[in-house]
Amino acid sequence: MAVFRKKQRSGGEIPTSSMADIAFLLLVFFLVTTVFDEEKGLRIVLPEQSEEVEVSQKNVYHFLIQPDGTVVVRMGEAQNESVIGAQQVGALWAQGFETNENLIAAVKTHPQAPYRFMIDVLDQLQGAGAVRISLQVLEN
Amino acid sequence: MMQGGFKRKNKAASEIPSSSLADMAFLLLIFFMVSTVFPKEKPKKLDWPEADATKKLDEARKDILHVFIEEDGAIYINDMPVPPAQVNAVIQPIHTENPQLVIVLRADREVAYQHVANVMTELQEARTVRLTFYTSLEQRVQRERR
Repeated sequence: MAVFRKKQRSGGEIPTSSMADIAFLLLVFFLVTTVFDEEKGLRIVLPEQSEEVEVSQKNVYHFLIQPDGTVVVRMGEAQNESVIGAQQVGALWAQGFETNENLIAAVKTHPQAPYRFMIDVLDQLQGAGAVRISLQVLEN
Repeated sequence: MMQGGFKRKNKAASEIPSSSLADMAFLLLIFFMVSTVFPKEKPKKLDWPEADATKKLDEARKDILHVFIEEDGAIYINDMPVPPAQVNAVIQPIHTENPQLVIVLRADREVAYQHVANVMTELQEARTVRLTFYTSLEQRVQRERR
């Protein structure tokens, strides 16, 4: 009896001609979508520890940040205080700076006030172009 | 020119051999399954304060040191918890090695200001005076700038 052996001829490979395309597509996708965590923020330079500068009270603009986020503003030696929101600080500073170019912003934050309120005020001041800023803790 | 009209059949395989692809994929899968270690503690979520005046920092990465302050006042430097009074001791050697050091203070927006002020005093004691408060750009401004 004649036996015909069937030859096994089915292809045992997965088609891969489009693999490179897929790989490049993925590569381009990730290249485009990747966002690097960039360093950003509000820059300040702290004073040297030994560096204590006497400034005349009339050149100091006090911003007292309260725990509820309101800001008590006092100009220099003047006794009158006004309570404002953090968003008004920038405009107020610009106004004061126009009349006195030696003005220094003294930002005094209540120890229990959330940090973001201080940042709000600092943001306003830096946005208004203030360079001479002093950060302190509000003492009762 | 070819005579006779016999066309040579192009028989060179046009495919990349891929029968071992599945093996490789499984090998990688098993490698990552075996080598993955899940962190036991959950990372704490910090929310940065927002600021319009946020500026990009152009310092080299090697000059930047991150100081994290969590909402409860816990301080982390280089992934290590640092007691508030030790910040000076930790930063001073780093600053001596690299006088160009810039501190990026990444504090949670809700942390009490007292904790931030303490860190700033410690930084002054370590004579690192270049400081940046890490902030994110306000959503509104972000949209406008796009």
